[in-house]
Amino acid sequence: MKLSSFRYIVPQAFKSMLHNGLMTVAAILTITISLFLCTAFWLLIINIDANARQVEEDVRVLAYLKEDIPDGQEEGQAEAQPEAQGEGQPAALPEAQSAVQPEAQPEIEPEAQTEGQTEGQAEEEQEKQLEEKYAVIRDEIMAIPGVASCEFISKEEGIKDLGSRFGGVDLKETLGGANPLPDLFSIMAETTDDVAVIAEKVSEIEAVDVVRYGEGTVEKLFALTDAMRRVGVAVMILLALAAVVLIAMTIRLAVVARKKEIMVMKWVGATNAFIRLPFLLEGVFLGLLGGLLALVLVLIAYVNAGDYLASTISFVLVLDIGQIWLKTAGFTLAAGLILGIFGSLFPLANRFMDV
Amino acid sequence: MLIQTISLGKKYKNGIVALSDINLSIDYGEFIFLTGESGAGKSTLIRLLFREELPSSGQILISGRSSIRLSKKDIVRLRRNTGVVFQDFRLMERNTVFDNVAFALKAVERPWDEIKKRVPRVLERVGLAGREQENVMHLSGGEQQRVAIARAIINNPIILFADEPTGDLDPRTSMELMQLFNEINEQGTTLVMATHDKTIVDAFNKRVLTLSAGRLISDSVGGWQL
Ligand SMILES: Nc1ncnc2c1ncn2[C@@H]1O[C@H](COP(=O)(O)OP(=O)(O)OP(=O)(O)O)[C@@H](O)[C@H]1O
Ligand SMILES: [Mg+2]
Repeated sequence: MKLSSFRYIVPQAFKSMLHNGLMTVAAILTITISLFLCTAFWLLIINIDANARQVEEDVRVLAYLKEDIPDGQEEGQAEAQPEAQGEGQPAALPEAQSAVQPEAQPEIEPEAQTEGQTEGQAEEEQEKQLEEKYAVIRDEIMAIPGVASCEFISKEEGIKDLGSRFGGVDLKETLGGANPLPDLFSIMAETTDDVAVIAEKVSEIEAVDVVRYGEGTVEKLFALTDAMRRVGVAVMILLALAAVVLIAMTIRLAVVARKKEIMVMKWVGATNAFIRLPFLLEGVFLGLLGGLLALVLVLIAYVNAGDYLASTISFVLVLDIGQIWLKTAGFTLAAGLILGIFGSLFPLANRFMDV
Repeated sequence: MLIQTISLGKKYKNGIVALSDINLSIDYGEFIFLTGESGAGKSTLIRLLFREELPSSGQILISGRSSIRLSKKDIVRLRRNTGVVFQDFRLMERNTVFDNVAFALKAVERPWDEIKKRVPRVLERVGLAGREQENVMHLSGGEQQRVAIARAIINNPIILFADEPTGDLDPRTSMELMQLFNEINEQGTTLVMATHDKTIVDAFNKRVLTLSAGRLISDSVGGWQL
């Protein structure tokens, strides 16, 4: 094969694509659709992976407190409280009352009493006791080796924060005034290695109900991406197969359209490579064009979806496009190239093409 | 010896035995008529000789080498030394005379400068000087066959096979074409031509191979044998 022969081979491939008009368009679109879906899926997977990894690196341990902090004195009071607060919440804590009265200020502040004097005084007393209890719990937590800091987050703060992370919704109002969140301590470990041990120790504290840290979430996310990968591979194989079939049909048509020329080439002694290369190139062009189209579409979709996610659920990590576009381009174009080569190899294996 | 066949036989996939036990030899520079009734196996023999089909028994020796043992590279070289024309011309209909002839040089990867020089020269040789830019479909049958001959000989083949090249032409045009074949042969190209036209065979005092029902029944110099 002479280099100068490409002056014939390359234009020949383009001519054939034009000549095959409709089939060319159908093949390119099939490749575009399958590569768009494959690439979109792949981007979804690497983003979920990145989120899982971020959670994995999280040094936070969350200790959710029991609604009813066990303490002899406290228990007595809990029994004294009327059960009629509705909302199905145990009535012992002041928060339960604030559920009846949505505009209530943060409960830990003593100024909270705006109601009847007797109840107000009881509340004030309760809150003082609670604050003391929280201080005790905090000391217990800080005593655990490896704990860097520890912050109390009341259920009121919790629901506000959660609402803002979902794009500034007033979650409490949405939930009809109820607050399903418990109070909690957010504990920072000094290193990720300590997290599990700290969680274990914290869970031994009596007032602590449940302890959460990244582990479960990470496993769930990785399990999710694993499942997605398996489903994804199956879907991708099917889509790739469709693309290969369409390319093969297009090339087959191109071969049939040039049957006479191929015969003449054989008679005069053209090499196998010279006869086949224009068709192989046509397949490669189809694959690359489809890949390019898919890449442009997927990048546009990614930027838009990323912007939308960032403005609605701010805690989700969306990988920056500048960081991944090169990899994405490589993935999509290489896939297009491979599909193109595979698709054209089948019709070119025909004995009719042999010298 | 250019070509030699040893008990050559061809049985097609449908079971028809088109040729059996053909022994013949063709020397450099010969002009050979291949005659026989329709279905005798003339086209089959030609297809075997230029390797469009492979023999089902026996051998073809080309310059002493068995044609079945040729490598891809040898086949390409053999084809470059072989020209072929057919009754139905087999030109690329949408293209010009120039493109049809130039295609044979492009296909063997000759440089463009050379193609531009050689195409007008070969067209002159076949009597179509200055007709480069005409569409082949606008030419007469005789002229179309000349384009096909130009394409077959532009690579200066050692041997030219012609399968009933005058089959679709009137007697006058046929004789003009035979004149061209004779010239090509006199310039050194070996020529094997299948025909069932008695007048043509009788008009030239050449070697005649006669096939009947797939067998070679006569091999002699001078007119029609049947
Ligand atoms: N490709 C093929 N497949 C099957 N049988 C074939 C094929 N080509 C030719 N034949 C058969 O082989 C026999 C010889 O055919 P061939 O074409 O060689 O004869 P021919 O002498 O060229 O005839 P004609 O003068 O009509 O061209 C015939 O019986 C024909 O039907
Ligand atoms: Mg015939």
